[in-house]
This record gives sequence, structure tokens and C-alpha cells, in this order.
Amino acid sequence: MSDPLTTIGALAGAGMEAQSQRLRIVAQNMANARSAGATPGADPYQRRTVIFSAEMDRAIGSYSVDVKRTELDPTPFRLEHDPSHPAADAAGNVKMPNVNMLVEMADMREANLSYEANLQMMRRARTMISSTIDLLRSGQ
Amino acid sequence: MIVGTVDGSSSAPLWVSELASRKASWAAARQATIAGNIANADTPEYRARDIAPFNPDPYARPLQMSRTHALHMELTDLERLAEAVDETGTWDIAHSGNTVSIDEEMIKSGQASRDHQMSVAVMSTFHRMMLSAVSFR
Repeated sequence: MSDPLTTIGALAGAGMEAQSQRLRIVAQNMANARSAGATPGADPYQRRTVIFSAEMDRAIGSYSVDVKRTELDPTPFRLEHDPSHPAADAAGNVKMPNVNMLVEMADMREANLSYEANLQMMRRARTMISSTIDLLRSGQ
Repeated sequence: MIVGTVDGSSSAPLWVSELASRKASWAAARQATIAGNIANADTPEYRARDIAPFNPDPYARPLQMSRTHALHMELTDLERLAEAVDETGTWDIAHSGNTVSIDEEMIKSGQASRDHQMSVAVMSTFHRMMLSAVSFR
């Protein structure tokens, strides 16, 4: 088994990677908040979500985290009345993405919080490693 | 035998160093378990884990499964030590079934960090004491 202190680096790194992928999806959702279709009645951008899964990493002997897949949010699209839009149907309604900015902002904050928690673990592990190495200096 | 003895078989400073060393490895293993919890803070159905409290008895072995066949998977050290925390013991349970509370994990991580620092300080102090006992300065 590898040293627990180096394991922390791998675990926190996996956590940071997963959270940054989540942030990337949030950014993608926000960027496409107004991406409607181009042809009449076409579907607009559909909101994406990430699914995390805990994986037993036998190399480090602990549960690591990985993004299992991204999924499409099945919430219905919003309808906006805009007959001049190229994607407007016969009734003049345009399907707009099912992205709610408020939800995305909350998701972003949560991803940020988890990312910082992982970063904090990495800092603590580094302090523990350096205090162990400092034992070598105690004889001087 | 270097300095004082406990029962004629082990010398006290060495025993203390060994104890401190084991406590430091225990704190490191606990910190790694906490890091795993924090990495999985948003994983659905993940249950927070913690390791058994430190046992100063070097011969104490927790009850564990034995490997009687070559095809059995061997438990890693962290797996042997880490056990899922009881549902009632965690601060909150998310709707997804995740029982990790980041605040609680941060507090536990602080404790593990302090335990480790303490063990390292004990080791370095005893090392210094032994050096001053054997030096001629």
C-alpha cells in the first residue's frame, strides 16, 4: 500500500478534477442559456448535469472519485412567444433551453466549495509531509 | 539499553518513539480517509467513512476477514482500518444518500492534523533528549 500522505494528494487531486469538470459543465450551461434552435420548432440546447461515482482505486487503496457520465436534464423547455425568431413554430412560440441561471449559480458555488475543501486537504497533507521530513533536521 | 527502562525488556524513550510513530501513521491514515470523504462529498449514495480510534496496544488487531484462497482480494491497510460511519453519527444526510458533511470532515481533518503534529513533536523532543544524553558538549 502506498503511503497515506501521498494518497491524500491523489484523492484530493481526483476530487479537484471532478469538481472542475462539474464547473466546466456549469459554464457550458450558462453560456448556452439562450441557445435556441435554428429551424422552426427545433429543440434548443438541453441542460447537462454531471454524475459522480466513488471508485475503489486499488493502486492507492482508497475510494477515489470520478465523473461517471454527463446526463441531459429532462425538465421541459421554456416557451417564449417570439414570431420573428427563426426557430418559432406555427403559433410563434420558440423553445428556449431549460437552463435556470439561479440553479446554475448555486451549483457553481457548491462546486467551488467542494473544490476548496479538496485544496485544503492537499495543503494539510503537505504540512504533515514537511513536518515529517523536518524530523531529519531535529538532530542539528 | 540506552537511558531508562520500563521492565527491563524495553527502553522507555525508544518505546515512546515507537508509540509516537504509530500514532503518526494512524493520523496519516485517518487524514487519507477524510480526504476520500471530501473527494466524494457530492457522490450520490456515498457513505462517509472513518477509521477506528487509535489503540496504543501494539499487539491489538481488529477483527478482520482472513485471506484463505489465492483468489480472495487482499484488503488494503486503509480498507482494514476504515469503516463506514453510522448514519446517526454524521451531521447531515443529503437527498442523494450522501452522508458527507464538509464542515464535519474539516473539523476531523484538523484533529488528525493536530494528532500528527503532536506525535512528530514528541518524536523530535525525545530524539533531542537522547542526543543531549549521549553528547559530551
